[in-house]
Amino acid sequence: MNQQELKDKLAEIKDKLTDIQQPLDDRISLLCEAENAYAVNKFLFEEVPLRFVIATGIDAEHCFEILYHFAYDQLGCFVTVKAFIRDRENPAIESIAPFLPGAEWIEREIHDLLGIDFKNHPDMRRLILADDWPEGVYPLRKKMAGEIAKQWPCETSVRPTTESPARRTVKLSKPVLAVGPFHPLQEEMEFFQLSIDGEIVTDIDMRISYNHRGIEGISETLQFDQVPFLVSRVCGICSASHPLAYVQAVEDIAGVTPPERALYVRVIINELERIHSHMLWVGLAGHFIGYDTVFMWAWKYREPVLDLLEEITGNRNNYGNVKVGGCREDIPDETVPKILQEIDKLEKKTEMLTKAVLDDPIIHARLKGIGVLTKEDAIKYAVTGPTARGSGIAIDVRRDDPYAVYADLDWKVITQPEGDVFAKAVVRLLEVLEAVKIIRQAVKKLPKGPVAVEVKEIPPGEGCGHAEAPRGETFHYVRSDGGNRPVRHKIRAPSFVNVPSFRASCIGEHISDVTITLAAVDPCYSCTERLAIVDGRGSILHGYEELHRLSCEKTARLKKEIGPPEWKLEDF
Amino acid sequence: MNWKMWSLKKSPWVFHVNTGACNNCDIEIVNLLTPKFDVERFGIKLVGSPRHADALLVTGVGTRQAVIRLREVYRQTPKPCVVFCMGACACGTGIFEGGYHVAGPVDKIIREVDPNAIIAYVPGCPPKPEAMISGVVKALSAI
Repeated sequence: MNQQELKDKLAEIKDKLTDIQQPLDDRISLLCEAENAYAVNKFLFEEVPLRFVIATGIDAEHCFEILYHFAYDQLGCFVTVKAFIRDRENPAIESIAPFLPGAEWIEREIHDLLGIDFKNHPDMRRLILADDWPEGVYPLRKKMAGEIAKQWPCETSVRPTTESPARRTVKLSKPVLAVGPFHPLQEEMEFFQLSIDGEIVTDIDMRISYNHRGIEGISETLQFDQVPFLVSRVCGICSASHPLAYVQAVEDIAGVTPPERALYVRVIINELERIHSHMLWVGLAGHFIGYDTVFMWAWKYREPVLDLLEEITGNRNNYGNVKVGGCREDIPDETVPKILQEIDKLEKKTEMLTKAVLDDPIIHARLKGIGVLTKEDAIKYAVTGPTARGSGIAIDVRRDDPYAVYADLDWKVITQPEGDVFAKAVVRLLEVLEAVKIIRQAVKKLPKGPVAVEVKEIPPGEGCGHAEAPRGETFHYVRSDGGNRPVRHKIRAPSFVNVPSFRASCIGEHISDVTITLAAVDPCYSCTERLAIVDGRGSILHGYEELHRLSCEKTARLKKEIGPPEWKLEDF
Repeated sequence: MNWKMWSLKKSPWVFHVNTGACNNCDIEIVNLLTPKFDVERFGIKLVGSPRHADALLVTGVGTRQAVIRLREVYRQTPKPCVVFCMGACACGTGIFEGGYHVAGPVDKIIREVDPNAIIAYVPGCPPKPEAMISGVVKALSAI
């Protein structure tokens, strides 16, 4: 379908819309009233069909706006439905979650932050704000911003109990496996509850908020050129992709084109980031199934990449290397041969690691057919990145809506049809090799010239930017009113859509396979710290150590059944 | 120095607490275990429960939701223990200062329940692994 056909298709629902706008070639806005939003969204998702990206809630003073962002990947085109809610006293809109489970979390988030009621939503519990946050206080409403934290101090004497909203909902008639919120090894806080029947997981419930820092709120208080430093700290491992997506959104508004050298530098930094992130995942995945050798290897190979990044940008992580109109730091000429040398070494090591990991019969037995996310579920949950590509959906922002200079380089999108943990591991390992290819070409083609142009001011308007982070598509929406700071900045990190897909991939699995299934989407959080199995009366039977042991034992058992490997150490 | 303090300094076991960080400090902490830095050669070990820990490595700003969990973890840690604020956020909320969901910094949260807590600060965004090792060594030799 080309752009004209897409427009003709969109014209079929003209009677539900108040206006169709096209600010840029590949950005289409459909304006409608709140009562028609459900029908319009259903049409876009089921009839056209478009991929759901995210929704943005905006307090626009005289009304509320809900923006539903859809992407048409074949054309790299964004279609945004703007629904206006005129009633400011009791704002409400029909939920789209019943036919689009991927929208469930974002509607809960908008409800928390803006107080908009989603009618017929299957599960309208609190998602993003703390348990002790007062009812009826909505931090992203313009009049309430500012003094909120001081006005409502935290409760100081409360201890966490089983009465938190997330826990109350799981019926305790069945045994419940509580996962989180702390983990001794992995990164962030997250809280899962798995209902189990014997060894089989029958239901899963999640609670986030532990890590909610209110970045979208803080962003509205910073100037346009300060925001990249903030958004590089959305996630430490995606700290090149987030600023890039933001900067591309602002460049959309300002109509700025950065110099060519800057685009090459952006590609190199982003691909180095992809390599170190994927290596990190491979290591942790090895650890989860009891292969600590893989953990140590992968993290050792990752170190030279961090050193390169430090040499170029000045920091091992949190580079903040992009700015509106170009890049902050250039790649020095003397670093160029070093980059080539290091990625040559890395390529050999990665090939060896890929061979060792993917030819191992025990890893086959342990990961194949585990935690399957089918293609249909992947579309319904709107997952992105290696999670989608591991389920046979060939989407990649770098190819679909080429930014920087990806269109001029030779590389391919890796997909695997199976949807299990093994497929996701294959996708990531092969992507490392693709990233090496991309960097090698980009470094060789690196043109001379400046790395930034001066940008005087950002005109009023709105822009969408997206970039392919290691975990999937990062999406940023920025609205400017012509001042020196954004009036609304929406961030959609890839894990926000990938994590809810556990509901499709974990149910029916064995407990010993859950750790690796949860880790398979490379979520930006920790899962398994105080992993505790609680029986019907709430007493703890197993801790994290126990569960990790179960997982390792399964590997050991399989090892015994399969027998010694056919290859010898000398083969490498 | 009593025997408890003496034993605290030898081979400290640490528990890692994230209270709303961007992941970077956490990744660098895990990095300490891997071949390039390998802190286990000093007897420093990451443990799976605060009840086994001599020190808490706290990262992140201390979000509202994390406050009571952090205090609970601190309560479960045998005393005396050292609280390490790892990174700019834990030391003073860093770039997230003034956010509506930020209740930190970490030292404020801990001091509200224990005014005499031993708290050490390792600044940086994120601190390099070398800085973390140096911070731990300096803090332990100052006790």
